[in-house]
Amino acid sequence: MFYRKIKRNKVMAAALIMAVVLGSVSIHAQAYVPTNRDTKVAPEKAEHTEEEYADYELLLETGTVKYYWREDRDIFAVVDKQTGYCIKTGADLPFSGDVKDAVKDLEKAGASEQEILAAAESYADDLNTTYVGIANSLITVEYYDSDKVKYISSASEKDAESSLSKVADGKYCLEVRFKDPEVSMNVYITLGEESIDYFIPSAEMSGSDISKLAAVELTPFLGASGGRMNVMNPDTMEWEKVDNYRVPGYVLVPDGSGSLIRFVHNTAVYNPYEGDVYGRDYATETNYSFAYYDDVPVKDPVMPVFGIAHGNGQMAFAAWANEGAEYMDIIVNPDGTRSTTYTWAYPRFELNVNYFQIYDEQGSGFFNQMDDVFHYDIDMTYAFLFGDGSDGTPSADYVGMARVYREYLIDKGELTLMEPSQGDIPIRLDFVMGDAKSGIVGNTQVVTTRTEDVEEILNQVMARGITNINSGLIGWQKKGESLSKPYKLNFTGSIGSKSDFKNLIKDFAERGVDISLSRDTITVNKKMLNYSNTAVKCISNWYLSIDKAAILPENVPISLFSYATPEKVASWTKELADKAGDFSNSLTLTEMPHVLTSNWNRDGVVTSLTESIELYRNALEEIGQEQKLNLEKPNMYLWKYTDRYLQAPVGNSQFVFETDTVPFLEMVLHGTMEIYAPYANFSFYTQDCVLRMIDYNVSPSFILSREPSYKLGDTFLANYYSTEYTLYEDMIVDIYGQINSVLSQVQGFEWTNRYVPEDGVVINSYQKDGVSKQIIINYTEHEVTYQGTTVAPESAAVVGKE
Amino acid sequence: MKKNNLIQKILCLSAVALAALQMPMQVSASQATSYTYAADEDSNWERTQDAYLPDKTITELGLSSPEDLYIDEDNMLYVADTGNKRIVKYDIESGQIAGILEGGDLANPRGVYVTVEGDIYVADTAAKAVLIYDKNFNQIGKLTRPDAPIFADTNYEPKRVAVDGGGNVYLIGEGVYNGVIQLAKTGEFLGYFAVNDADLTFSQRLQQLLFTRDQLAHLVDINPTVFTNVFVDREGIVYTATSGTHRNGMKKHSTNGGNMFKTNVWSFDDLTDVYVDSRGLIYTCSAAGYINVYSKNGEEIFEIGSYVTTVDIVGLFASLPSVAVDMNGNIWAVDGIKGYLQSFKPTEYAQTVYTAMDLYESGLYDEAMAKWNEVLRMNQMSVLAHNGVGKAYLHAEEYEESLEHFQVANNKDYYSQSFWEVRNKWIQKWMGPILGIVIGLLVVWKIIKVVDRKRGGHLEKARRQIKEKTGQLPIWKDILYALKTPRRPMDNYYEIRKYRQGSVVSAAVIYILFFIDFMAYKTVKGFIYQTTKVENMDIGSIVLGFFVLLGLFIICNYLVTSINDGDGTFKQIFMIPAYGMMPAMIALLVVTCVSYVLTYNEAFLLTLVLLIGIVWSVITIFIGLQTVHDYTFGETVKSIILTAVFMIIIAVIGVIISIMWNSLYTFLAAVGKELVQNVL
Repeated sequence: MFYRKIKRNKVMAAALIMAVVLGSVSIHAQAYVPTNRDTKVAPEKAEHTEEEYADYELLLETGTVKYYWREDRDIFAVVDKQTGYCIKTGADLPFSGDVKDAVKDLEKAGASEQEILAAAESYADDLNTTYVGIANSLITVEYYDSDKVKYISSASEKDAESSLSKVADGKYCLEVRFKDPEVSMNVYITLGEESIDYFIPSAEMSGSDISKLAAVELTPFLGASGGRMNVMNPDTMEWEKVDNYRVPGYVLVPDGSGSLIRFVHNTAVYNPYEGDVYGRDYATETNYSFAYYDDVPVKDPVMPVFGIAHGNGQMAFAAWANEGAEYMDIIVNPDGTRSTTYTWAYPRFELNVNYFQIYDEQGSGFFNQMDDVFHYDIDMTYAFLFGDGSDGTPSADYVGMARVYREYLIDKGELTLMEPSQGDIPIRLDFVMGDAKSGIVGNTQVVTTRTEDVEEILNQVMARGITNINSGLIGWQKKGESLSKPYKLNFTGSIGSKSDFKNLIKDFAERGVDISLSRDTITVNKKMLNYSNTAVKCISNWYLSIDKAAILPENVPISLFSYATPEKVASWTKELADKAGDFSNSLTLTEMPHVLTSNWNRDGVVTSLTESIELYRNALEEIGQEQKLNLEKPNMYLWKYTDRYLQAPVGNSQFVFETDTVPFLEMVLHGTMEIYAPYANFSFYTQDCVLRMIDYNVSPSFILSREPSYKLGDTFLANYYSTEYTLYEDMIVDIYGQINSVLSQVQGFEWTNRYVPEDGVVINSYQKDGVSKQIIINYTEHEVTYQGTTVAPESAAVVGKE
Repeated sequence: MKKNNLIQKILCLSAVALAALQMPMQVSASQATSYTYAADEDSNWERTQDAYLPDKTITELGLSSPEDLYIDEDNMLYVADTGNKRIVKYDIESGQIAGILEGGDLANPRGVYVTVEGDIYVADTAAKAVLIYDKNFNQIGKLTRPDAPIFADTNYEPKRVAVDGGGNVYLIGEGVYNGVIQLAKTGEFLGYFAVNDADLTFSQRLQQLLFTRDQLAHLVDINPTVFTNVFVDREGIVYTATSGTHRNGMKKHSTNGGNMFKTNVWSFDDLTDVYVDSRGLIYTCSAAGYINVYSKNGEEIFEIGSYVTTVDIVGLFASLPSVAVDMNGNIWAVDGIKGYLQSFKPTEYAQTVYTAMDLYESGLYDEAMAKWNEVLRMNQMSVLAHNGVGKAYLHAEEYEESLEHFQVANNKDYYSQSFWEVRNKWIQKWMGPILGIVIGLLVVWKIIKVVDRKRGGHLEKARRQIKEKTGQLPIWKDILYALKTPRRPMDNYYEIRKYRQGSVVSAAVIYILFFIDFMAYKTVKGFIYQTTKVENMDIGSIVLGFFVLLGLFIICNYLVTSINDGDGTFKQIFMIPAYGMMPAMIALLVVTCVSYVLTYNEAFLLTLVLLIGIVWSVITIFIGLQTVHDYTFGETVKSIILTAVFMIIIAVIGVIISIMWNSLYTFLAAVGKELVQNVL
């Protein structure tokens, strides 16, 4: 609805220049073998045939799009008027029984072959009746039948009715009535210039079986690809199995920095991708206790957005939740999952949960569901994208998806463009100062960096020419972060007194170096404080318990943790910020920005996810007025208050079916806040990683200490294997130098495009005030020549100087 | 000072390492999907820097239930694609299929091995044979069931296969528990190459000891733990993997089949494969999805992987039947259920560890040290590296420098060796001056005494007065009395009984002093003798145990002797152990202090001192009990035994009460909650 107009002229110019210069890229032999950690070359062009939409009713025609509706199957067809390319909200399949019955009836009646062929509509081979309903549907609900989850869709063969009625111009309402379970809901649909918005008000969900509802799924097969059909062969008049045309394209999921799942045929059967937006709500999981194991936890989506692209810059959509994001899962079923060869992706909104209610210390219990569902409105926007972006509109690929989502967030005020800056890029240098370990009586303080060490190290770094520095101090407290209360500001003389910290921070602030205290205000343990009224209680009325024994040393003071209640987190964070405000005009928060839980007691929910978000937003809004906020992997609802995005993912969770990694998150956030990569200390210092930081437009970060890190061996911070400054002083200069020499040239520029001309080569385009620049990142082991500039193997170069 | 030197050295070496870093580096990503673990200083697995990162994921080969992998010298990966009844030859370099062996006798190929000559051996359970092919996939042999009478009743379904340089074939047979079947080149049965001992549980051992032959016959057969895989490296050494045990599941066999590893090698109990690369590193994998790397001597180096069933993430497996290692040191693994290949690239960290180990093995200690220091840059907590650097310093006779590394690595043996040298040097350097000072001080002391005597002995008088006065201080007096008790226990305890010597307060003070002494002994001995780190101790139990035992002894002894005509009052019984504890207390103190200067060579001295102290104390307390209660020897022994029995009874009752109280509490709490929830 709003994208075609955006900066059309500027972007067109950039695109034109791009198109010209890309033609002159010359790449030599010796192939680079990409993995799913790279971005591969864009998919091929998708084939499509014009359709007549005979069974459809034209609802609306805008300047670019025609919206058709098929009442019997609940399907919208969105057609690009320019190319005729169409994406449907459903798979548009008949029920096999209907087709077979029709054919049989005709055969019995002695109809001609032509008549039989006309009635013999191809039907899905690898979808049963329930799934055909789901594949067509606009709405599918999951409901509990005892402990089992079953599905019924608005386009089901039986027990479901739905009808679309016009509310106003471009506004419709789909009334959906399910008979078993007995539930009804209204879906308000707004057809925009190039978008569809679905709104399901919680107040209008009704029916005697409403509490049985587990989740609502929206247009599960929108943009799906794959599938196998039974097609009647006109020569033999027999049904034959024929694979559908597999559209070249992909699903974009916000896994880590962003990830593409291309439409490919899999020989293995995989589990679906289930991205729990904003991370899982530990309080409503099946069990109240969790344990970390040997596998690195998957990266949870920090934003409620996904998308599907067809072909190379042909048609795509980006979909995001305006409301209900905290209850949203992004589900992708890659080819092979659930016994079908379709790849399909959709948002799932959780309404009820199945949890294990324990009633005694031995852990006996039973499975149970809530008496009432979660109450919240669901609002999803699907923005359609067309073309390759050469006309200045967002391109129909992940770059365009990032652009429309970013524009949406800017319009909404969740993101604000920073003042364009020039000069060197920033670097993050965190310091690990100490922690507590078990001692003869109680715990003893381990010290790895004192305030004077921080001063000395920063002076040394600055003396070597790096001045745009900001720092977080970790473990500055007495008893370390692990055992001290989150809201307290108790210092220990062995690290530095209150005045030492004050002086350190003040001195460097005057020299333009922002030093802040870093704190995790959400993780608690029983050695830190009493759980009563402080720790989150799960839906089963048990305190949430997180066991980190597997990833911590054997002898740490405690390995069982919990999260504080959202109220406490908000008030502690404010209290801490208030106290720390005397020292620093900046605060670093870890964990809290990406952990979201609800809180319960025996009467039910005390703080819902929606309320938790409100609490956190209010707290950070208040703090943000006085202090800069450095947040570790913040979820989208905190972006408004984020000045520095720390530990930004530069990769994804690496699901086997993920084919590419893309900097979607970084493209959304670029220019709205400073973004920092994970610490380079830990396996993140190779040339490939340096290039990736350039490619993803993130600044480097290090974690440092004065003393060797083996001193932390028996503490919670034992996983910082290597932090001693003397080991890193040269590496800091080297890595920063490499990244800064490239990225400083596009400081303050808008990142307009990302293009992969060949596996292992990425070209990022930037623009500012009519000046266009490109950065070529060459991951390969051979030279790449671009517009007369030769880029050495495994290096990056800027093209297009002012 | 010592540390500063060390840091400077590490610095210099790190500078070299950093210079190396700036050269074109290997391409690797930052994303591990499972944590890497390495053995820590206490031999527990602990997280460490990533050693391997998932690299290539090959999903397009269409494998079905693959079971075995082998990589030849040309980097060709052979997959026993069991479900598809074929062997797939995959070219690692080009990423293309180089050939498919199928049809013919192949019915259920489950194991594959390729010789230096390129001959492909396939173990096929359905064909009940080992099928041999040349490099062009022409069948050149078939080893069917051996006709040796000794083999007559044994199942012959070859599941895994390996071949040594002489052409001898080693087979793991389905359902064969006797061991690894060894066949000659001709197919002749040579015997069982290696046999696993039955791993008996305690109750099974007890049954074996106590049961009659009839009873034993009725027990379920105890099968030995099962061989799951066999591998022969290019030097002809046979390795096996065994499931069902954590102890020695991975073995390196000598030519007679014995295990060459001298110490126990820990492994997962669901081992499925063992593989050895060209540098002798040993790799194992477990069905659940873990890969372990061991040195050629069986030392644990790294562990990667995790047990995950609900998500499909590269580097984690639904089932992991086999691993192999290519010529570049990359690990290749196959998912037995999902049927895809996954490679892992060693990180710079792992490669540096391996290079350092190789250099050390080759006797290039200086070069090894440089590499170990590089490892320390990447992981300052690496026990392997600290050990490596320590050993290199030891070889270079830089003993002081080696100490800190051995201490971090908790390597007490080597620390002791280095410390011996350091101490030796120290003694040589300082013995003269110290003796001089001591003699000097003695001479000065003598002179002062003589001068004082000549001048009227004022100093001597003052000394005596102080001694007398302090001797009268209430508690100090009793402590001095306690000090004398071990020397004349009968007299002193008689005085305690008869003249009411000593006091309860003093006894309590002695207990507290003894406790402090005991805790010091437990927690702050010298590094070599401090076997458990303070961080690992359960201090609460030690404190509780000490006082509960003491209290129980006193109470029980009072109860027992009260009904057995003992004369001692409760107060006196409270005092008896206190007044007899001095020898043990002094021994503990001496051992704690001296442990700082002794090495393992002098361990017997500490044991002796401790033994003397304890025995002396026990005898003193025994005499104390005898004297105070006015018992004969026999009566004393009897009372002590009864006291011990009473102590046990009370302890058992205590445990029962605590369990019942817990149940009662749980019950009451449940009732309470129910009331609150449903009634109020």
